[in-house]
Amino acid sequence: MTDPLLEVKDLTVDYQAEYADVRAVDHVSLSVAAGEFLGVVGESGCGKSTLLFAIAQLLSPPAVLIGGSVKFTGKDMVRLTEVELRHMRWRDYAVVMQSAMNALNPMKSVAAQFADAIRAHSKMTAKEIRNRSAEVLRLVGIDPAHLDSYPHQLSGGMRQRAMIAMALLFTPQLVLMDEPTSALDVVAQRALMRQIKELQVQLGFAVIFVTHDMSVVSHYSDRVMVMYAGQTAEVGGTRRMFANPLHPYTRGLMDAFPSIRGARRELTGIPGSPPDLGHLPSGCRFMPRCPDAMPDCVIRSPEMYAVDGAEVRCLLYDGQAHEGRIGETA
Amino acid sequence: MAIPAIGSNSALSGAGVSAPSTSVRVRFLRTLFSSKKATAGLVILLVISFVAAFPGLLTHDDPNAAIYGIEQGPSLQHLLGTTLVGQDVFSQLVYGTRLTLVIVVVVSVIATVLSMIIGITAAYLGGLADRSLSLLTDIFLIIPTLPLLIVLAFYLPSGVSTMILVLCLTSWAFQARQLRSQGLSLRSRDFLASARVRGERPLYIILVEIVPTMTSLLAASFLGVAVYVVGFAAGLQFLGLGNSSELTWGTLLYQAQANDALISGNVWWELSPGLAVALLGAGFALLNYAFDEIGNPALRPARRRRDRSAS
Amino acid sequence: MVESTTPASGGTGPESGEPLLRTVDLTRHFRLGGFRSKNILHAVDSLSMTIGEREIVAVVGESGSGKTTVARLLTMIYPPTRGTIYYRGRAVNHLHSRRDILWYRGEVPLVFQDPYSAMNPVFRVSHGVMRSLKLHRPELDRAGRQREAQRVFDTVGLSPDMLAKFPYEMSGGQRQRVGFAQALAVQPRLILADEPVSMLDVSIRAGILNMMARLREEEGVSLLYITHDLASARYVADRIIVMYAGHQVESGPADAVLSQPRHPYTQLLLSAAPDPREEPVDIPADSGEPPRVINPAEGCRFRQRCPLAIEECARVTPRLSPVEPGHDVACHVASADVEANRPPRLAFSVKMSSAASSATAPRASGATRPAGGIRHD
Repeated sequence: MTDPLLEVKDLTVDYQAEYADVRAVDHVSLSVAAGEFLGVVGESGCGKSTLLFAIAQLLSPPAVLIGGSVKFTGKDMVRLTEVELRHMRWRDYAVVMQSAMNALNPMKSVAAQFADAIRAHSKMTAKEIRNRSAEVLRLVGIDPAHLDSYPHQLSGGMRQRAMIAMALLFTPQLVLMDEPTSALDVVAQRALMRQIKELQVQLGFAVIFVTHDMSVVSHYSDRVMVMYAGQTAEVGGTRRMFANPLHPYTRGLMDAFPSIRGARRELTGIPGSPPDLGHLPSGCRFMPRCPDAMPDCVIRSPEMYAVDGAEVRCLLYDGQAHEGRIGETA
Repeated sequence: MAIPAIGSNSALSGAGVSAPSTSVRVRFLRTLFSSKKATAGLVILLVISFVAAFPGLLTHDDPNAAIYGIEQGPSLQHLLGTTLVGQDVFSQLVYGTRLTLVIVVVVSVIATVLSMIIGITAAYLGGLADRSLSLLTDIFLIIPTLPLLIVLAFYLPSGVSTMILVLCLTSWAFQARQLRSQGLSLRSRDFLASARVRGERPLYIILVEIVPTMTSLLAASFLGVAVYVVGFAAGLQFLGLGNSSELTWGTLLYQAQANDALISGNVWWELSPGLAVALLGAGFALLNYAFDEIGNPALRPARRRRDRSAS
Repeated sequence: MVESTTPASGGTGPESGEPLLRTVDLTRHFRLGGFRSKNILHAVDSLSMTIGEREIVAVVGESGSGKTTVARLLTMIYPPTRGTIYYRGRAVNHLHSRRDILWYRGEVPLVFQDPYSAMNPVFRVSHGVMRSLKLHRPELDRAGRQREAQRVFDTVGLSPDMLAKFPYEMSGGQRQRVGFAQALAVQPRLILADEPVSMLDVSIRAGILNMMARLREEEGVSLLYITHDLASARYVADRIIVMYAGHQVESGPADAVLSQPRHPYTQLLLSAAPDPREEPVDIPADSGEPPRVINPAEGCRFRQRCPLAIEECARVTPRLSPVEPGHDVACHVASADVEANRPPRLAFSVKMSSAASSATAPRASGATRPAGGIRHD
């Protein structure tokens, strides 16, 4: 059993606000093997983007990393200096943002930005830079003639693919993506996902893909991690999770999809809204919205329980809860 | 490469994180008072306002009574000495505060209102109206201020009203540009389109929907203009374009300079109004900085967080 | 339970036979780049559609399809370049008097896409509702307005004490409900909803979609639902209009269009629509993107991406023609198949099923509420 490429343990991130700290990521652990595609799914505010940025060591105030470790290729990134991190950045891991228009400089051509990225992390001659830039553009299906275009001259889908190309300049081992398809239409989305998967298989990098839309990762990820209110709710193999979701929240998320084919049925979504991270309920965080809540759920916070190769944070799967209940109520 | 920082609270708002129960106003005041710059600026302005309001409390001497000894240096009876004709400098300074402050405030208010109307209307109406108003603004911006001020003040009857008119004309343009930019950025906000689609008239939209969202910018505008006006009002009067019979710090400066106060060694006669002007300007400027900091937390000086128990 | 009417049976109301909203040859062009420029962007071309009473019509298309322009034309943000909009039998494109404009706006309000930008942050959320009431319900006094505000909040599933909240205190889903409440306050006949759920989390969307269906049933309003998501259109709409590059390419009853998509673009959309419960259907990698239509020539605008394109597609712009009663397609190949009585050829792999099988389950009626008695978000 080879060591995982990335191992995150008990990562905790707080937002330090004026009057109280809010815990956006609460002791989250995950691991990613080389070449694996992990989807991280959750509603807005669950902490998934914060988690991604924390792993990439890109947090800035008021977000502060309070605890935990991020072991990447054997090194704990939390303990590295800025210089060491800069050496790893882009070469060993890269980040793709949610909106290309936010991350691409509208005043610079694509070639200029690629050149900036390359020069920041290595020494190459101008010719080498040009060649490499053209190469990665070709990889994502963009005609290298667009090297001299400006971001606004490219369509939305092409901009996102240019972002991915930029991330692949040094063929890193791990690419972190924060909702790269959310601004795209469904056909462009599908094409982009397919492209990402092809590249992943071809170049062998691992992917952590953050999204609020499960369907986007459902066909491409090897494993999926569902987050809720700053914690992991469920982790497991994709197909198995979709066929048989364990956590009531996961089930709710999947049932929220109107189906495009087959019989129509009433959608219920998940009533209520995620909890106020500053005022969390006692016991399980999902309990107020949970259709399967038990009396115990108010008192005890569930741990992650192993079930059949997956892990789920739900008292339904705690052996104890089914046998003699602690503090049994009517 | 710019990487957006996960620092904004927008990440939290989606989770239904409700704001602390204290209202926006209370939090604003709290932040205001925790800023050293704001406190200093506020104190200065409050003190000067007090002096303007109640000059009689600070000095018993009639500022215009030329009954004292000529050009005496500072002493216990005359804290800042006397003028060439025997007036008490200190009481002149104190009584001059009111008119000085009045000029500054009146001009700042008018200039801010004017720039608000022109800037926001240009942004909201767009098209030809925008182009014309922007052209107007640019013309007033390009004209060199001091020469214009001097020319206008020379030809018009000297006095406070002229001062106010002339300063208003030359100080609205810069703020108008800023407010127009802000107005433009609001155009893409759906709540304006929402107001339009529900049938609101353009004037209503400008006054009720746009202006209230810009209150902090307008306040900052006001303070910014005030700094400018303090300096230019004093400057104009110093150059002799004010009316010497009206007592302000600027005319005081003019009198002192015209009577060679510095040369004859009566330093405080000239220095004190100058310092007073600088202090007033600094008061507005400090408050202005503080407003910037409130608006943009990135500008706040890093403060040691006091140890707080979980609230 | 009232069945929704199809346009074929005509709208209800005094203008018998006249649907609630009808557009004829609706067209909007934009001149790009200044007065003298010759570049004309064709945002919408010749859109003729109807919306009946108590009906939800979905306009589905990607960005650049013209669907947003349609919303803007219908709310009179700008006038059409050509064509007419008939509302309750009356042409409304060129309304000038304040009274007329106010009348129209009081019957056809708009719900915006972005719940985070659609409300003025300095006012409480009751502000928009109160202003709408003041402008369009002059018969109400202060107490009456207060009552109405509470009523519309209740209709959209918000408790009346939320009227006093500020936008930043509410979630995206709640804000969107406020948007609908504002629209309801004027007692509309037709609500235009411009991608009302696109910016909401998937789990919240169901609640809003159910609410839209409920508005149709209980309040009797029609809705024009503009979206890029076919699945939600299927869930909530009675009829679907598919747009591509400014043209209407297919329209008909929701079930018919989705179970028997005849236009290649509809087939592409369907095959790309993700359904996590199914195995992925492969779409060609080089499927391209919708074009920006500047100074277009005659011919089908989808032909570059269409595997079935024939010579005629480059010469003649296809017009809408029926493939079944009520189900129209603008495609030479599809029309040819119908004429020759052939089974339809598929441009993209998509499962065709009979309309009957997918219509058996009840459509969103909004009549039931989720279990648990918990108030919607």
